Amino acid sequence: MAADWAQRLTPFDRKLLIVVVLLVASSFLILLGQKTGGKVVVSVNDQVVFVAPLNKDRHVELEGPLGVTVLEIKDGAARILSSPCTKKICIHMGEVRRSGDLLACVPNHLVINIEGNKNGKDDDYDFIQR
Amino acid sequence: MTSSSVEFPELEQVRRRVLLALFVALAVALHTVEVLLPNPVPWFRIGLANILALTALFSYGIQALWIVSISRILIGSLLLGSLFSPGFLLSLGGGLVATSLMSASYKLWQGKIGPVGVSVVGALGHVSGQLLIAWLVVIRHPSIWMLLPFFLLFALISGIVNGLAADYLLESLYRHPVFSRLKNKSVGEGALTFQEETDRENPTLKVTEGQ
Repeated sequence: MAADWAQRLTPFDRKLLIVVVLLVASSFLILLGQKTGGKVVVSVNDQVVFVAPLNKDRHVELEGPLGVTVLEIKDGAARILSSPCTKKICIHMGEVRRSGDLLACVPNHLVINIEGNKNGKDDDYDFIQR
Repeated sequence: MTSSSVEFPELEQVRRRVLLALFVALAVALHTVEVLLPNPVPWFRIGLANILALTALFSYGIQALWIVSISRILIGSLLLGSLFSPGFLLSLGGGLVATSLMSASYKLWQGKIGPVGVSVVGALGHVSGQLLIAWLVVIRHPSIWMLLPFFLLFALISGIVNGLAADYLLESLYRHPVFSRLKNKSVGEGALTFQEETDRENPTLKVTEGQ
């Protein structure tokens, strides 16, 4: 039965199929192998106010137009613990850890990005407060 | 010695037009029916309509492929009421990338590549094109590319299924005298049979005609 449908492939199709299967498998590997992001970048009103590596646990109090939002960095992930906004959507966004992920608290004008650390020299500092 | 199919070039022209119209009609029907199927992932479709595009490609060439694909997307979206909506843009973007890749692979490996190969290439092109449009137009965020491996896996499976379906369809179509001039070695085993059997295909085609 399995051989029946394989008969309908031309030899070239079979080779192509093997290549494509490898391609799809490697795309999964790339996804899995994607390292957790290197640093947390926080911006308020599109201005970067805080940068810190993800691998050090800490609590950060972030000042926005509405008040203080508490960001927790723990076990290589970032999440919002408390926020002065009404709907608390940012808290329900859970935790982010992969490069490119983001947390946002729109009422408090806060965007928290996870960025990769391809350039190792960025690892030197503890955090930057602006 | 050949049967009634080799008569006048004009007749062949008319046949081509009528059959392409039927292919488009069938493709639109499949495109529409597919929306009714339960869908695990929002944008993911099996792409059953591509069976007809493949059939057009292997029976009448690249131009026919473009006619069937583009007409299907336009007419199908018109019927579903999604013409010029964001969903339509995704559909069109995917369709254009898929059709380009399908024509390119058909041209590049002519005679060697079969319906399954072209179908898989097209399916992968379709999801990549869709994701590209989604990234450009809808969600301008790089993490959308993290969906790509899952989309590619789905596309691989549905591409094989569609390709096999197209191969079965072509094989039975080639048994019909109308298609006897369009032998294509890369399709099935039945491509060379030349019988005048009262076939099963005529009823099928007539059903679609009535729709």
